This record gives sequence, structure tokens and C-alpha cells, in this order.
Amino acid sequence: MTTAVQLDGITKRFPGVLANDDVDLTVEQGTVHALLGENGAGKTTLMNILYGLYEPTDGRIVVDGDERSFESPRAAIDAGIGMIHQHFMLVEPMTVAENVTLGAEPRKWGGLAVDADAAVREVAALSEQYGLDVDPTAPVETLSVGVQQRTEILKALYRGADVLILDEPTAVLTPQEVEELLSIFDHLTDQGKTIIFITHKLGEAMAAADDITVLRDGQTIGSIAADDTSREALAEMMVGREVLLEIERPPVETGSTLLTVKNVSTPSQRGVPAVSDVSFSAHAGEIFGIAGVDGNGQRELIELLTGLSTPASGSIVFDGEVITHASRRERIERGIAYVPEDRHAQGLVMPFDLVENGLLGNQRTSSFANAGRIDWAACKEHASSIIEEYDVRPPNPSASAESLSGGNQQKFIVGRELARDPTLLIATHPTRGVDIGSTEFIHEQLLALREAGVAVVLVSSKLDEVRGLSDRMAVMHDGMFVDTVDPDAVTEEELGLLMAGEHPTGGEQ
Amino acid sequence: MTDSRWRALLQRIVYASTFERVVISLAALLLSILVGGVLILVSGRLTTCPTAAATYLGVGFCYDPITVFDRLFFGALGDPMNPLFRPFAGEFAPPFRAGWSPFNSEMAVTLRETAVLIFTGLSVAVAFRADVFNIGTQGQLVVGAITSAVSLTALGPVAPSGIAGSLLLIPAGLLAGAIAGGLYGAIPGALKAYADANEVITTIMLNFVAAKVALFLVSGPLQRADSQIAQTEPIPAAASIPSVLFDARTGFSLVALAVAVCTALACYYLLNHTTLGYELRTSGLQAAAARYAGVKTDRTIVGSLVLSGALGGLGGAIYVMMIVGDFQTGVPSYGFDGITVAILAGSNPLGVLLAAPLFGIIQSGSIVIDTTTNVPPQLVDVLRGLIVLFVAMPEFFRQFGRRFFEDDGGEIDG
Ligand SMILES: Nc1ncnc2c1ncn2[C@@H]1O[C@H](COP(=O)(O)OP(=O)(O)OP(=O)(O)O)[C@@H](O)[C@H]1O
Ligand SMILES: [Mg+2]
Repeated sequence: MTTAVQLDGITKRFPGVLANDDVDLTVEQGTVHALLGENGAGKTTLMNILYGLYEPTDGRIVVDGDERSFESPRAAIDAGIGMIHQHFMLVEPMTVAENVTLGAEPRKWGGLAVDADAAVREVAALSEQYGLDVDPTAPVETLSVGVQQRTEILKALYRGADVLILDEPTAVLTPQEVEELLSIFDHLTDQGKTIIFITHKLGEAMAAADDITVLRDGQTIGSIAADDTSREALAEMMVGREVLLEIERPPVETGSTLLTVKNVSTPSQRGVPAVSDVSFSAHAGEIFGIAGVDGNGQRELIELLTGLSTPASGSIVFDGEVITHASRRERIERGIAYVPEDRHAQGLVMPFDLVENGLLGNQRTSSFANAGRIDWAACKEHASSIIEEYDVRPPNPSASAESLSGGNQQKFIVGRELARDPTLLIATHPTRGVDIGSTEFIHEQLLALREAGVAVVLVSSKLDEVRGLSDRMAVMHDGMFVDTVDPDAVTEEELGLLMAGEHPTGGEQ
Repeated sequence: MTDSRWRALLQRIVYASTFERVVISLAALLLSILVGGVLILVSGRLTTCPTAAATYLGVGFCYDPITVFDRLFFGALGDPMNPLFRPFAGEFAPPFRAGWSPFNSEMAVTLRETAVLIFTGLSVAVAFRADVFNIGTQGQLVVGAITSAVSLTALGPVAPSGIAGSLLLIPAGLLAGAIAGGLYGAIPGALKAYADANEVITTIMLNFVAAKVALFLVSGPLQRADSQIAQTEPIPAAASIPSVLFDARTGFSLVALAVAVCTALACYYLLNHTTLGYELRTSGLQAAAARYAGVKTDRTIVGSLVLSGALGGLGGAIYVMMIVGDFQTGVPSYGFDGITVAILAGSNPLGVLLAAPLFGIIQSGSIVIDTTTNVPPQLVDVLRGLIVLFVAMPEFFRQFGRRFFEDDGGEIDG
């Protein structure tokens, strides 16, 4: 077996932060290598260095036996290294083939024109070869997240990548899509490609990887063959303590109805209904889960609840008052907290520091702003208390949001929203990108809210999470609630069918 | 340079600290002087003149760069330096010339220009913080100026005379200018917020509209009765802002400068210590996050342009009440210079207080060069352009480089 990538003593220092501290990593050719570690352990930084985005402060990069130093992603790509970031970089209105070949288009007429037909042919062949199953002529904006991700993989392969780096590729996928991705890994490694992927899900790492490397506080804790380890051992390596991997949901007396949604519908940009005729209610002391494949109207429904948009028809009643057309501002004031789906665009203002980000949504609350004047001392205290309670690292309120690792950004947002002392919490993917230790903590917080009589509406692509936390659970498909089920009683198969829009008993709805 | 060096350089500029930015700006200023010096020498070789202005290494040149830059910077301050003060030659005479008074007429011109540029610089900067590119400050200034002039002439007969009149008329004139400029700014604001019209285009068009309407008014209905040129009736004497310490004929008033400085401080306070400022900055940086936080981004856009227009209008009122004493066509391009002031200031109101004097010096110093040397005004214009270009360029790259890194996405990721 030959070594595809070897990182030797990599150190990366940011002002005030040692993100990587003498990290070693060896990846054999034709294998899948998982990178595990807590939030802020330095995984993304390490991969960005391998991909030429950052220059290491110290250390050696050896690819295929040659020592290399990549000055830019372009140089890394030329050396056969491709990276798929968590945020896709696709041009939405363009087709798959156009996106894949962008900047490296096949030419005709002696290089004078782009050969669109050849592009489609080549992309189709590549997709076929690696079992990616992507339609080259489909516009990217019509594709599900999973297929967009495969388009990114195609893009890397088209540019000749032999080593594929994926940063938390499964965080945005449904269990079904995760299965598909892992089988694509098999296809790729069968044909000699090498894969490095970052994940927080231990089960996935065990199932998909040949070898696993664990980072903690910027250092390598160890590398181990997936067959020789257990989830418990990995958790211990990552966190340094035992982690409870089960969710315990104690019985709680549900109170009055806090949220009643009646027959709401809203059209999508393309005219077809994004949410059609959805009704449900959530009670005090209850977690109401919404499961479903991403892109089936969950986002639009949540926007209707939080006041980012208003429904074309139907009504929403909160705490006895109609809020169908109430503004976002008004809903915040009424005690509706919201953990948004897109932390980079919505949840945080990236150039702001954490003090300023702690104020986001609170800027008109009397405890932080008096007669239009902001009390920065109070804001700073607020940010510090979120940082402390949610273990946000580095614990520095004047760090900018963009300098935080993905999981730490998420922890800060959850902390801020829960600190609002809400009556109703709407949480979308609250633990996306968060490590197991902090996930456990956030779950505990959600359950504590429930016990305190708060109503929680929870959307998550992690099935165990929605099932484990929810008292009742709706399954959404094509803008509709297919059914509302008891999460403890429903089987995995039944859920799968429901998420595909079918009733296990009754057939297509 | 390689790809990554450029990236690294751009990244350094984008994420530079305030101190680094000041140092970069000063270095750019120095560099522009060096390049300008070479340019002066070269053009001095290419022209013919009876006697050489300077001789370097035995070669005679028609223009002397040292004189030119001395006139530009020190001339603009009324020649404060003592010629005997030569620290590099080991002579430590008192640095300031005996008999130099800071209240000289060149200094007055410098500060006069500075005062107006503070307003226009703030106007552009405040809008820019809301991600609105207001090219229309010039038009807003013109509208503010003419409104202020007309309302003051109208108020004149009913106002009391003396100090009481000034105390009434000066605030009234400023208010009239601010309101008119603000309303004029509201037009592109509403068009952008509710009709999705690009503010760059609409504000440029509104500049023309303002200039043409003003021309029509002052050469017709509002023209001064006995005047041959296009100007309004003069504003009442009590409405012109009193000059303190400086000669009244210089058209400069310390009071107006104080108002400008206070306005800059107020803008800083507004942006950094109030809810409105926080919402404005948030929607400027990330509109989706602002909406998430309950900010009505449409209103913020309109609000920022109203504020921006009001600041431009204030500049216009100051121009009328401090400098010209009526409204006449041919308003200098304060509004456009305000764009460069704002870029150089990094859109920070406190930065405007540093950037505006530099432009004031350049304005005033060019006049000194024109009157005391044989250097053609065209060359002086080129030198001015060079300085502006060099000094503003790093900030320009900083502000647009930021977008580059954001679009890039891969820098900082989950
Ligand atoms: N551009 C930057 N400037 C300053 N600090 C940074 C920067 N990028 C990362 N860091 C810091 O480096 C450390 C490692 O971050 P990194 O993103 O590599 O973590 P990670 O292991 O990917 O975490 P996560 O699981 O949360 O994604 C963190 O403490 C982070 O705050
Ligand atoms: Mg990461």
C-alpha cells in the first residue's frame, strides 16, 4: 500500500490561537480516512492547509512521496487534491455540466467555443464511472442538497482529484442520503481514489472509514483502524471523558396550546406551493418535531412561523393571539426565539465580534438598549455568559464570528437564542456541526426548556435527534404534513416511507 | 508575484488593524510624493524656460519638485516652518517661523474646504455603512444649498436684527438645507427599497436633475434682480456664519468647522452606540442577518439615504452661509470629493475627520502653487489626482477585497 498524503508536524498559528500544533496525519492510497475531534480542534484548518488555502506556520506536506507546498487551491488541485466545503460553491441557475466544467470547459472550433455537448457527455461518463447518478443537464437550483454535493464531488473529479477532502459532508444530509454518500465512497476507493472526511458522527466514522484520526486542541491524539475501536473509545479519545450517547426524555405534563397553525399555504418562487395546507399545534412543555428530507418546505414553513414571511392563506395563533401577519420584530418581542438554519447568512454577522453578535435580535430589548442607546457593558457581559455556559472556544468575546470554528459559531447562536427566555423556541438543525459533547449539552438544554413549560418546534435532519427529543413528530413531504406520529412507536421503515411521501398503510397521499 | 502572495497581501490589507491602516495611508502618501516628484522633474525637462527653477546633478529643470510640494503642503498652512529649522543639517532653530499665525488666509482656505468636505465625506460614509453607494451627495448638496439660500432670503425681512437674528437664522438655514437634502436623498432610497432600482444609477441621474433645476431657478424665477449672472438674492447679513479669529473675507468660519466636527462625532456615536446605528451596520454587512434580527431592511435603506442626503444638504447650507452668501451656479465638486474622503476614511466618521483635512490641504495648496509658481495648473491637477489615487487605493482594495474573501467562501468554513 502506498501513502497518498502525509502531513508531518503541521503547525498553524492564528493571532492568539494555535489552531494546529504539530499535527501528523498519514493517509493510505485507496482508503477512507475519517478526521474526528471536538469543535475548534483544528480539523478544518488542517484540511484548508492541505488544500492550499492557508500556509502552515510550520511542517511538511508530502503528496505521493513528494514534498509539496501549495500556494493556492489551484496548486493543490494540480497535485490531485480536491476539497468539498460545507458551503457549496455552485452557480445555482447553471446546469450540473456547466458547473462541473466551469473554468475548464471542453473546447471546439480550435478552442474558440465551449463544446457544451462534450461537457454533458464527459460529465455523464464520469458520473456513471463512480456511481454518482447525477443528471448533467439539470439546473443546480432544482437539485436536492445530496445531489448538489455529488455535483461538487464531480467537479473535483473532473479536475483530476485523486484525494478528496470533505468537510462535514453528512451534516446536511438525511440518513438516506448519508447511506448513498457512503456507498459512493466505496465506488471511489475501489477505483483508487483516496478520501479524507471530517465528521462528528462516530457511527458514520466507524462504518465508512478504514482509519480514524482524532484531534484535540490542535494536537493529534491518535490514529486507529476503524475495526479496532468502538464508539465509546472514540468518544473518550475526543472529549477526554465518557459521553452519554442516548437521549433520555423524562415525562412532562404538557400545558396549554401555545401555537396553533391552521391551513397555512405559501407559494414558492417557482409558483408551486412550497407549503400547502399545513396545520398543527404545539403545547407548553412539548417538543414538536418536524422530520423530512431537506427542501420539502420545512424552511418556508419555519419562515412563516418566525415572521420572515407571511402565508398566502391560513392563520397562525400564538398564545391566544393571531400573529399571522405580525412582523419578525413583534414575534421576537412576544417571546419567540429562533435558531436559524443558515448560521453564516442569518444567525451571525460574520465581521462582528461576539459582543455585537450577542446583540443580534436583542438590539431593541430594554436590558441592552435604553432609549435607543446601546449598553455595551451589558452586551459584553451577555456575550461572556453565553461563551461560558456553552463552552464557546476560544473564550474571547472580542473574537470575530468568522474566526470561530463552525461548531463554536453554532453553539453561540443556540446560547443566544435560549438566553432570550422564550415562550416558544423554533430550532432548525440546532446541533448541526456541533461535536458530541456539546450536542449532548444542547439536548439537555432543550429538554430543560420543555420541562420549564416552553413549546419547542424542532426541525432536524438527524433522525435520532428528532425522534429522541420530540414528543410528537410530523413528517413533511412536498410542502405537506404526510402524517403526525408518535416518535417512540414509529419504526425506521415507516419513517422512510413517510418521508418519501407514502403512507405505510394507505399508499400515496 | 505568485497567486498566493497576492492573496496574502490582499488578506493583510483586508484584515489590517486601524493603526496599520493609518501607517499604510501615510506610506502611500509618501510614495505618491515620490512618484509625483519624478513626474515634475520629467515634465520640467520637457518644457523650455529662460532660467532653470532647480538644478540637480548639474541638470537644470524648469519645475522644482521640492518647491511644488513645499507650496502644496506648507503653503496651504501659510508657511509655518522656519527656514532655519534644518534638523537633518544639525541646525535646531525654533521650528515655527516667527510671525507665523495659524489664522492666516491660506489656512482659512484649507479649513474652509475641510469643513464642507467633512459633511460630504460623512454623507457618503454613512450610506456606505448601510451598503448603499450614494453618488448623489453632490445633488443633495446643491438642493440643500439652494433651499437654504431661498428660505433665508424669505426669512430675512421678518427676522430680528443683530445677534438674535443670527441665532434664529443660522439654525434655520442649516435645518432647511438638511431637510431638503434629506428629502432629496429619500427619492433614490425609496426607489432602491421598494422598486429595486440601483442607487448608483438613480443618484447619478438625480445629480443632473438637481444641477439643471437649480440652473433654471437661478437664471429665471429666483435670479437676483439686478444681476447679470445666475445667482439668487443675497442671504441676510445675520444669516452668514460669523468668522471667529479669521479674517471675514476668507469665507471661513471656525464656528462652521466646529459644527462639522460635532456632526462627525454625532455620526460616530449614532453608528456605534445606538440601536439605529447597529441596525444600519447590520443590514449593510448582512441583510439576511438583519432581517433575522427583526430589522426592516427596506426602511433602513431609505433611512440611510435620508441621513446621507441630510448631511450633504447641511454641507450645501454651510457652503451658502459661510462661503458664497447666496446660491449661484458652478458649485465646486464637494460631493464627488466626498466619495474619496469616505473611501480614504474607511467609511468611519472619525476617519473622515482625518481624511477631510488632507483634501482641504490639497485644495488650498493647489491654489498656492498656481499663484506662486510657473507650474501649469494641469500638472497640479495630475499631482492632486496622484495623491488621491495612491492614498485611497489601499482602502479601496480593503473594502472590495473583503467581498472577494466573502465570496470565496473557503476561507473560514464549518
Ligand atoms: N481565520 C481564523 N482566524 C483566527 N482563528 C481561527 C481562524 N480560523 C480558525 N481559527 C481558530 O482555530 C481553531 C480551529 O478551528 P477549526 O475551524 O480548524 O476547527 P474545527 O476542528 O474544524 O472545528 P468544528 O468542528 O467546529 O468545525 C479554532 O479555535 C478557531 O477559532
Ligand atoms: Mg470545521
